[in-house]
Amino acid sequence: MMQAISDWLASSRLSHLLADAGWFVPTAQAIHILAIAAVVTLLSMLNFRLLGLTGRGPPAHNLAGYYIPWVWRGLVILLVSGALLTITEPERELMNISFRIKMLLVLALAIVTFVEHSSFLADSHYCNRSRHHLMLMRTLAAVSLVLCVTIVAAGRLIAYS
Amino acid sequence: MDMIDFLNQLEQTRFASAVAESTWLFPFFETVHVFTLSLVLGSVALVDMRLLGLAGRHRPVTEISNTVLPWTWAAFTVTALCGLVLFSSKATTYYVNLPFRIKMAALAFAGINMIVFHGVTARDVTSWDMGVPPVRARVAGAVSVCLWVVIAFAGRWIGFTR
Repeated sequence: MMQAISDWLASSRLSHLLADAGWFVPTAQAIHILAIAAVVTLLSMLNFRLLGLTGRGPPAHNLAGYYIPWVWRGLVILLVSGALLTITEPERELMNISFRIKMLLVLALAIVTFVEHSSFLADSHYCNRSRHHLMLMRTLAAVSLVLCVTIVAAGRLIAYS
Repeated sequence: MDMIDFLNQLEQTRFASAVAESTWLFPFFETVHVFTLSLVLGSVALVDMRLLGLAGRHRPVTEISNTVLPWTWAAFTVTALCGLVLFSSKATTYYVNLPFRIKMAALAFAGINMIVFHGVTARDVTSWDMGVPPVRARVAGAVSVCLWVVIAFAGRWIGFTR
């Protein structure tokens, strides 16, 4: 089924248009990288704060409020640039195991980010309520960090698999 | 010994050859390079957005730079070390690669911009810590953003040119 979708996309006018413009893929990839930079940096700073690995600066719930809206904006840019790249070279992405793993990991990261964010929106002192709350948030932060690293690795490995 | 001889010798060292010939060493160092580079880009952008007065105006400039810059330095160190490893594996090829040269030039200018900012412009930062910074600080932020975007684009283009 994925092969059929890939073939259909490859035959589309948009795909030919973008593929013929030799500058499009490196440019879209560079934009993709800049958006990754924003998302990974903001999440890393927030998660390190949640894990108690950095002590300076505003409290974690303030950082979450400043940064997570920008994480969502970054994810939108990633989805759009990623979709255009996939339309340009559907076989390279859709039929690639690294790409498929990456998409599952991105979905997992979106869910973890959503849970982190909504916990703080509901209660800015979420982590202070109980040890259980603190441990849950720290687990989410650790998972988020691991996901960021593995998503970047899976993304880079698309080119090698 | 001229530059090409030196780069040839670098390429032929045991470690550089190992990276060039291995199926996984180059992708490994490249992945670490890209990950830590994204931390450099993101943290520089955070400070620049504040200097430009575009984000976080309610937070003091010094608060943002004090919490963010340690990330920038740590990430930059790892990025540069990985970059050296990657470069050494095909030194003579990269040396004459135009996007690579553009990237290195932009990196040098970004370094100069940063030295000028910290050494001169930011001397009196406590007097403009809140609100929109003075023009000279905004210029530093704008120059930094432009140079790092060039670095990101040029870096990606290296892989598309031979």
